[in-house]
Amino acid sequence: MRDQELKHIGKPYNRKDGQEKVTGQAVYVHDMELPGMLHAKCVHSPHAHAKIVSIDTSEAEKVPGVKAIVTGKDAPYRVGLYMVDKNLIATDKVRYQGEIVAAVAAVDETTAERAVSLIKVDYEPLPIIHNVDEALEGNILVHEDLHTYEHMAGVFFPQKGTNIASWNRTLKGDVKKGFEEADFVLEDEFSVPAVAHVPMETHVTIAKADPYSDKVEIWSSGQSPFAIRQLLAKSLGINKSDVHVTVPYIGGGFGGKAGIHLEPFVTILSRAAKGRPVKLKATREEEFNLLPTRAGMRTRVKTGVKKDGSITAMEIYHDWDSGAYADYGVNVGKTAVYSGAGPYHVPNIELHSRTIYTNKVFSTAYRGFGHLETHWGIERHMERIATELGMDPFDFRMKNALKPGDTTISGELVYKTTGSPTACLEAVAKEIGWTGRKTEAERAEELKTGKIRGKGLALLQKAPAMPSYTSTAAIMQMNEDGHVKVMIGAIDMGQGANTVMAQIAAEELKIPMDDVEVVWNVDTDKHPYDWNTVASKYTFMGGNAVRKAAKNMIQQMKEVAAQVLRCHPDELEHDNGVIYHVHHTHRQIPFKKLAMGYMYENGNGIGGPVIAHGIYMASGLTNPDPETGQGRPGLVWTFGAHGVDLEVDVETGEVHVLKIASAFDIGKVINKKLVDGQVLGGVIQGLGSALIEGYKFSPDAKLLNPSFTDNKIPTAKDIPDQIVPIYIEDPETAQVDGPYGARGIGEHPMISVPSAIGNALYDALEIDFYRLPLNPESVALAIANASKKQ
Amino acid sequence: MLSKFDYQRPKSLQEALTFLGEYPETKLLAGGTDLMVVLRRNMQIVDHVLDIKEIPETKRFEYKPGEGLFIGASVTVNQISESEPVKERYMALKQAADSLASYQLRNRATLVGNICNASPGADLASPLLVFDAVVHIATPQGNKEVPIQSFFTGVKRTVLNPGEIVIGVQLADSETEDHSVFLKQARIKGHDLGIAGITLRMTPSHKVSVAMSAVAPTPIRLVDLEKQISEKSLDDTLPEWLESEIKNHIKPISDIRSSADYRLHISGVLAKKGMKKLLEMGGK
Amino acid sequence: MCNHNGDSCFTYKDSGLTKIELNCVINGDKVCELVDPTMTLLNFLHNQMKLFGVKEGCGEGECGACTIMMNGKAVNSCMILAVEAEGADIVTVEGLAKDGELSTLQKEFVEFDALQCGFCTPGMLMSSRALLDQNPNPTVEEVKEAIAGNFCRCTGYFPIVDAILSAAKKEKEESK
Repeated sequence: MRDQELKHIGKPYNRKDGQEKVTGQAVYVHDMELPGMLHAKCVHSPHAHAKIVSIDTSEAEKVPGVKAIVTGKDAPYRVGLYMVDKNLIATDKVRYQGEIVAAVAAVDETTAERAVSLIKVDYEPLPIIHNVDEALEGNILVHEDLHTYEHMAGVFFPQKGTNIASWNRTLKGDVKKGFEEADFVLEDEFSVPAVAHVPMETHVTIAKADPYSDKVEIWSSGQSPFAIRQLLAKSLGINKSDVHVTVPYIGGGFGGKAGIHLEPFVTILSRAAKGRPVKLKATREEEFNLLPTRAGMRTRVKTGVKKDGSITAMEIYHDWDSGAYADYGVNVGKTAVYSGAGPYHVPNIELHSRTIYTNKVFSTAYRGFGHLETHWGIERHMERIATELGMDPFDFRMKNALKPGDTTISGELVYKTTGSPTACLEAVAKEIGWTGRKTEAERAEELKTGKIRGKGLALLQKAPAMPSYTSTAAIMQMNEDGHVKVMIGAIDMGQGANTVMAQIAAEELKIPMDDVEVVWNVDTDKHPYDWNTVASKYTFMGGNAVRKAAKNMIQQMKEVAAQVLRCHPDELEHDNGVIYHVHHTHRQIPFKKLAMGYMYENGNGIGGPVIAHGIYMASGLTNPDPETGQGRPGLVWTFGAHGVDLEVDVETGEVHVLKIASAFDIGKVINKKLVDGQVLGGVIQGLGSALIEGYKFSPDAKLLNPSFTDNKIPTAKDIPDQIVPIYIEDPETAQVDGPYGARGIGEHPMISVPSAIGNALYDALEIDFYRLPLNPESVALAIANASKKQ
Repeated sequence: MLSKFDYQRPKSLQEALTFLGEYPETKLLAGGTDLMVVLRRNMQIVDHVLDIKEIPETKRFEYKPGEGLFIGASVTVNQISESEPVKERYMALKQAADSLASYQLRNRATLVGNICNASPGADLASPLLVFDAVVHIATPQGNKEVPIQSFFTGVKRTVLNPGEIVIGVQLADSETEDHSVFLKQARIKGHDLGIAGITLRMTPSHKVSVAMSAVAPTPIRLVDLEKQISEKSLDDTLPEWLESEIKNHIKPISDIRSSADYRLHISGVLAKKGMKKLLEMGGK
Repeated sequence: MCNHNGDSCFTYKDSGLTKIELNCVINGDKVCELVDPTMTLLNFLHNQMKLFGVKEGCGEGECGACTIMMNGKAVNSCMILAVEAEGADIVTVEGLAKDGELSTLQKEFVEFDALQCGFCTPGMLMSSRALLDQNPNPTVEEVKEAIAGNFCRCTGYFPIVDAILSAAKKEKEESK
């Protein structure tokens, strides 16, 4: 479809939720109160690994206003999305400091807090697994019964008698031969710490368990109401249809609210409180220390290259420190099997991705889903290879980046319409004025000012990570006034899904944007199914479903109109809220006369309420081969690149980013205002991972920074001078099966921001950084050490 | 919050002292920006809270030539930042005020609260140290004055006894030709606690004084270093010399916010940068 | 434990201490309420006055989601006891729009897409409002300083800064 024919696609409409959010009218679960509602508070483990010897709740029970107290023995249930490894409440032993050991529901928060302070728990400390190396030794087990845990078989590979929740592999080509062909081999090790999602609204759930049946009502700040329904039912052994989940506005998710979290646990509390609704609102400390994080990760990578710069082979170990649980984490690890070597053509590769248990707060999905972590290692490594070869890192990347006809590391054939990493790289290199690395003389001259500038580039890629059979649906109903209400199962948590879906519906129905409303307050009893609001997949999948629903709605109206207008439906067109004959355009009927069925002058009625639906099922995906990782996991790839221009204060170690240019082969921009929002926000979140954020643990594996005092995120004063988003909208490389050619972009802006900054720091300082974050301390001390060595 | 406290808002100092005489463990409330965190985290269980903001003496904020600047205990950090005499004569104090926490916290936080909390990293302490501030304390036995250098006794500890109230601090007079600079290194550019903070002051007679925060159990005035500086000429070599020399005068620790190595390093850097600025401002 | 549905279920509240009378003005309305001495101003506004635009993001004065205007100044309502607001003039996000029409600042937030999830937005608006009241012509750096105490995890701040600068410009034009 040519652009000039599009009325709504490509227009920067304001978000539909704007007004409610700037007036304080938008209601979040944080704000919700139900009649008779109780408030919950939790007892947390002070130990990282310990046996629970006894729990004494007798004093707490005496506090007036306490309605229920639960401990592990009251909740003999496990829960998990991909690996069912998590007790609702710690039972028998605790696996991380911060884990819930008991909880109280009381008439108000203060009463609950008071009761919690009176619960006495005796622990017998156990030896602690601090990191992946200790975990891999396997002398101490975080989960003794790992081999008995239910999981998606053939996709995840828990290793019995170890701390490896899943060991996923890629094997492509002949790695031995590949290394033999290499003129040069480089080995590196990189790491990233665990970081927090930091949604401004902490996790919150209200659960109401009907005492006379299995029915459960949930109001949650979750990203994934249908996953909550499914997993809660499975965990408690009840019917999915007995679980009713509502998600109103949510205050940010970033993956941390995907899957399932507090919901089944709060349901247990409501049951114990004889069915009164119970609200559990995580404190900020619980958000850091009880609820999951992005996993820490270590990459060990070895690459063979020829003198001309072509990669011959890679061997990679990505080891994920998933903390105490890996129910979602194993799938983060799995993504490395098909994406863990970056957007490069690697003919021969052996890749291991191991999701590993330790005694720390556990990990889950986080915007980018493992890609920021893997790309930190890979894109820094590629930079170093270019350096060692004496090649311009831009040329090195251009040479090896995926091109049509190449295959990915999991054997997926790259088509022209898969998108173009090189177009993105060229765009950002141009935008930051990349002309190659700084010379020694330039560096020496700048050093006199105490500040050195550096430029860096990095590529990125990501495809949705989800089960191969992931589906979604949209329902569309027309009201008497011709307005259309669209219902989808995805959650608009600010990314703008509802506005974009309204644009797509308006486009297809050819009606004004004001005549379309995507219905908020997703309700699993009313809204159609969507798997999870994750993976940058909804514009693509939901967009296709909404398009189909709209086409179906038009078809329904045409069929009725054809009877009235005495013609074949194929002879009818639609525009401006009317169905009209393609030639005799005066023969027409307004939508609103068809909305509830058409009524003839004599009173006869035909047709009926116009209600349409559309579905989208992920097409042609397969599970990776258990041994080789080969298959087709990528529904839609989005490629991108960042170019960074920064200035580093060589004394304080402060990095000031002057400019980040970020290009994405997005195919088609449906709403630039909203896409810009994803890019600006994502880049700054990536900047946080690059320069600021990271968990710190004590020698006994306690989280040392469970508050904003010491776990900082970027503020308005920490942003670069400029971010330049660039969108590749080349019809040649656009996504042919995406809505209007569009691809997802929600997570991508965050990926490779640290890599590009690390590469720019190398350009500035000729110092290689291997660990995040690149905070003033680590940069300044590295500079000081480097000058000592000279 | 587990504390169950009652709330007092006396309108006179006498009324406050009388209440404190009866309940010496009462927590004093001015800006509340530290106390509210203590209460929320149940770090202390508090029975009585006494709000001092209605006590007239604590609202006093005035500069008198010859006497100096008095900052009452209810004066907020933003009031200090926006004050003309402070901008003209106590620049380091303004810079320290602007570096403390966030704008909206500075609308509540008080300078006196900052020093009474006695964090080793108290941002506003080092300017007070170089301006020879005196802490005015009301006690049941009458008022007393304690030089700021003797006020801090350890991490989160001061000379204050239960039942006493800090009314305010008096800074020595300062000429408009009196130059001072405050520098702080934090982890982020937005609001953050200091990894290290320094104030350098040069009087019109070229006497240099230096104080630091977050490099010792209390904010400290580096008296020995000042003596060494007084024996040196104020020339271009001074900043570089100070960068390395200052490291002999402090013993920072490693903690969650920084390693001792970086604290030492950055203390030198801040001292050098600060001294350069002083020399630029004050002439040589 | 008290009997389910028994009287004590709804009568036990907060610290159990005698409540204190609080007189203040909230969004132009005179208010006289009895408040628990241990209640924060945030909890008073959100839970007791049902002004749900006042958000709790951390409760410790770090994130700014609970920012309101008190006597014309932006403050963290989580860092203040409700009883301290005696005699105060309080404005929350609910008080920004007049006569059913969004204020210029609110309109610019929508126009520049200066919000995504919306949870930081009320606090962000109040910090911005306080800034523009005091400094109708702020620089980029002054805007950043004024909102640095308000965390936003969604937008990357750029659209917020732009919205505030644009609102400043428009407000000046409107006042001519």
